[in-house]
Amino acid sequence: MSPTPLDRSAPASTARLVRRELHASRAVPSVLTAILLIIVCLVLLFEAALKALGDNPFLVDVEAVAAWIGALPSGVPASLLGTGSFLLLVLGVLLLLLALLPGRRARYTIPNERAAVVVDAEVVASSLARRARAEAGVAPEQVLVTVGRSSVTVQIRPTSGIPVDAEAVRAAVADDLRRSSVEPEPRITVVVAESGVIGQ
Amino acid sequence: MNTTPRLLNRIVLAVVGILLLAAGAAGLVLLTLPAVAVWWGGAAPRVAQAIGDVRTATTLEGQADTWLWIALAAVLLVLIVLLVLWIAAQGRGRTGLFASVDARFPAPHGRHVGPPAGGSAGGRSSGMGSRGVQSEDGGTLGSVTITAAAAEQALKAALLERSELVGASVSTWQVRGVPGLWVRVFPRKGAAPYAVAAEVSRLVEALDRVTGYRTPVLISISSGTRVRWTRADRVS
Repeated sequence: MSPTPLDRSAPASTARLVRRELHASRAVPSVLTAILLIIVCLVLLFEAALKALGDNPFLVDVEAVAAWIGALPSGVPASLLGTGSFLLLVLGVLLLLLALLPGRRARYTIPNERAAVVVDAEVVASSLARRARAEAGVAPEQVLVTVGRSSVTVQIRPTSGIPVDAEAVRAAVADDLRRSSVEPEPRITVVVAESGVIGQ
Repeated sequence: MNTTPRLLNRIVLAVVGILLLAAGAAGLVLLTLPAVAVWWGGAAPRVAQAIGDVRTATTLEGQADTWLWIALAAVLLVLIVLLVLWIAAQGRGRTGLFASVDARFPAPHGRHVGPPAGGSAGGRSSGMGSRGVQSEDGGTLGSVTITAAAAEQALKAALLERSELVGASVSTWQVRGVPGLWVRVFPRKGAAPYAVAAEVSRLVEALDRVTGYRTPVLISISSGTRVRWTRADRVS
């Protein structure tokens, strides 16, 4: 062994870890699709085997289905054909969107020398809420922080008779964000409600 | 952290999506455009005729029906196996081995390491044949492995001592062929993420020194149901 720990973590693999954590893996839709396809394949397999053995069809008569498809659009009520086709269309669009959309998760990454660091947006929001509450001098229930992908909104309901300095709150929140240096850096909006609440 | 085949997932989903889309669109077009319905009315018998011809051509002497049914069954069987493999490939990649040491690493010189893992890992060399490197302190040949559980529990114990964390879990996964650690921490409500990240990475660096390996590490700072039901401060 070398005096310094043997390095087997490359920056590229760290970047890959972060990228994978920030995007959905599509594992659940994949498993559901696979299960449905397996069921369809099993039924067809069974029918094909029956055909090969010269037995009567069990669930689906493949030849009858083929004849039915050949006879479309007659042989089935228009409303039924329309709804069925529409459902297939929607399902197809849904799967295609799942395949093509980036599927970003509500997470941020924090630069770190040693590790890949990924933070849930919720954790960032609760940290900012705490900072904003301390700065504004209000109770936890009077602060609501919403964290989006590129924006942070801080809503404060001040205690009646005690004004809240929105600019100071913004500076505090900006300082917190800067220290985390979350990427991408969000835009900050501070909204102080017109009406106050009875102090706690 | 796992080795889920993400690109494959997306490709298969896209293919299935396009097929379903095409089927649905075909049904709607047949229903709404009379011209297409007329065309299909003419084309369908020809398709049926072609299929019938293939069936008679592939029916063997003395057989009732075509052997294509058997071929179809075989293809479907292969397809089912592939689909099952696809499902099995999701979420894989967990490993039980953190590191294993063999003859490639000679004994350390005045290296300061933590007592259990580092001490034993440094002092031995492998028994890969007779040309194995003899360690300087005359230690016997052999190989040393650090199981994933050892590294995981050491790190988890250190994490759970931190008061700003409600919970933590550590697991070991294959990252591009080498074992990497996935550290999930659940900080107390309102804890600053950068402080938590710095603290956890400090503990990870301590683990590096103890085990002698600088592994890939992913730190997930998450929020769970347990966090939502705990107070922001321990004394409030």
